[in-house]
Amino acid sequence: MREQGLAADSPVLRLDRAGVSFGPDSDVLADVSLSLSPGSLTFLTGPSGAGKSTLLKLAYLGLRPTAGRVSLFGVDTTHLRRRDLAPLRRRIGVVFQEFRLLDHLTAYENVALPLRVLGGQEKAYRQDVIELLTWVGLGDRLDARPATLSGGEKQRVAIARAVVVKPDLILADEPTGNVDEEMGERLFRLFRELNKRLRTTILIATHDLALVRKSKADVLRLADGMVVRVPHAAEPKSPPQ
Amino acid sequence: MSAAASPLLPKEDAREAALFFVVCALCFLAALSGLVARSAYAAADAWTSDVSGEITIRVRGDDAALANAVEITKATPGIATARPITRDEAEELLRPWLGAGGVPVSLPLPRLIAAEAAPAADAPDLLRRLAAALKSAKLDTIVDDHLVWSGDVRKSIDLAGLVALIAVGLLGATGLAVIAFATHATLLARRDIVEILHLSGAQDGYIAGLFERRFLMLGVQAGALGALLAFGAAAFILYLLRQSVAQIWLLPELSLSLADGLILGMAPLVAGAASMIAARVTVMRSLSDMV
Ligand SMILES: Nc1ncnc2c1ncn2[C@@H]1O[C@H](COP(=O)(O)OP(=O)(O)OP(=O)(O)O)[C@@H](O)[C@H]1O
Ligand SMILES: [Mg+2]
Repeated sequence: MREQGLAADSPVLRLDRAGVSFGPDSDVLADVSLSLSPGSLTFLTGPSGAGKSTLLKLAYLGLRPTAGRVSLFGVDTTHLRRRDLAPLRRRIGVVFQEFRLLDHLTAYENVALPLRVLGGQEKAYRQDVIELLTWVGLGDRLDARPATLSGGEKQRVAIARAVVVKPDLILADEPTGNVDEEMGERLFRLFRELNKRLRTTILIATHDLALVRKSKADVLRLADGMVVRVPHAAEPKSPPQ
Repeated sequence: MSAAASPLLPKEDAREAALFFVVCALCFLAALSGLVARSAYAAADAWTSDVSGEITIRVRGDDAALANAVEITKATPGIATARPITRDEAEELLRPWLGAGGVPVSLPLPRLIAAEAAPAADAPDLLRRLAAALKSAKLDTIVDDHLVWSGDVRKSIDLAGLVALIAVGLLGATGLAVIAFATHATLLARRDIVEILHLSGAQDGYIAGLFERRFLMLGVQAGALGALLAFGAAAFILYLLRQSVAQIWLLPELSLSLADGLILGMAPLVAGAASMIAARVTVMRSLSDMV
């Protein structure tokens, strides 16, 4: 999966004056520039509706910017053909805010889905998937379908699915929004481990300021369609909403 | 842990049952049209080649007139053979209408001449010359024009065949449209699957493949059942024809042949291939709208 033929320290994700608007005078993102270096762990904060999910969508190539550029792994995606985007997507694991689990698949099958897309053999990945689900506390719910899982359980399946291919970049949208503090910390520890051991670059959009403060990671704050890098000591305790 | 992984595209029983029915019905109609067209051609072929060389001449008058007419007919260029039909032969021909009891002796039967045209003869011209020759010998005769008549049969059969072909074509096009429509519906209904596969880095061909396989199977199965039903219907129609009208109208070649087997065997293949192509085109086009 790691086909980093490019300069080792070129940013994993880079937005250059990127803008997104869904209508004539509604810029969700006005002018966003940011750069994530390999192996970094960064939080993305900002009030609800600020455009955090939209920014992540740009990053996982679910949306083309209406202005500016998006580069992934040192490749400018602006003029790439559709079929050349797929290999980039395979290096990205996404935890969607609304999970997006497939309701006809079991928890196990949902997690295994990206491996199936990559053409993996079940024999080869089966143990990894079970271990990962056990790690997130769902070792006894392998055969459960999403409809029978709680919000927090679904979220953990979604996280397992995002990390199962050991991607180079993880984009997580409110990954601890539906779990208690203890589970939240446990899940964050999973990201931290991947970040430390595999040098996975991680961007986490979150409202969970307690988590942000404790982590001492870099923080990007999104407001008025722009991103500002916040020195972590300066992250406000109660942000203006 | 279940051993076999669930299909990425779940079965959708209600929609697929309806689609199966439609494709099956279309295949049934198409195969039946094909069979009807095929056997109409075959029947016409046998029929017209039986009679096309034949000319029947009715002679009013005595045996001398008959003998004279035979001589004149034989002498006409373009006629291969000519001979009088005996009373026994005439009775044999009339048996279906008059029953096995035979023809009453008192019933005067027309005197008939059976002639055969030479293979390359120009039918209307030959008939005109023959009639003129008989008339100039002062004989009261009527020349039956199987030749012209068989040409008309050919034309109508050709027309019927064309209509059947158009019907098959229309049914095929309808099938393609229906499958495309159904693929689209499935695609919309399961957009979540398509999107998550797409975002996981699946190429369009991989996603299209899921739909292709699904609709290929459906097309082959529905086509096979449709063809089987068409075979049953054709066999039943043949049975009815044999029971009632076959002897009277002397319908030849009413049987299922190798060509029919080919038509029936093609139905599932064509339906499967068409379904697969329709699904692929629909999915690929819809995916090309995504980033
Ligand atoms: N497809 C879309 N069409 C139109 N408007 C959209 C679309 N997607 C997002 N928006 C708008 O963009 C704005 C930002 O949405 P987004 O989901 O990115 O915010 P967010 O920061 O993730 O919010 P939250 O913290 O509540 O998740 C919202 O005002 C939303 O209405
Ligand atoms: Mg959001």
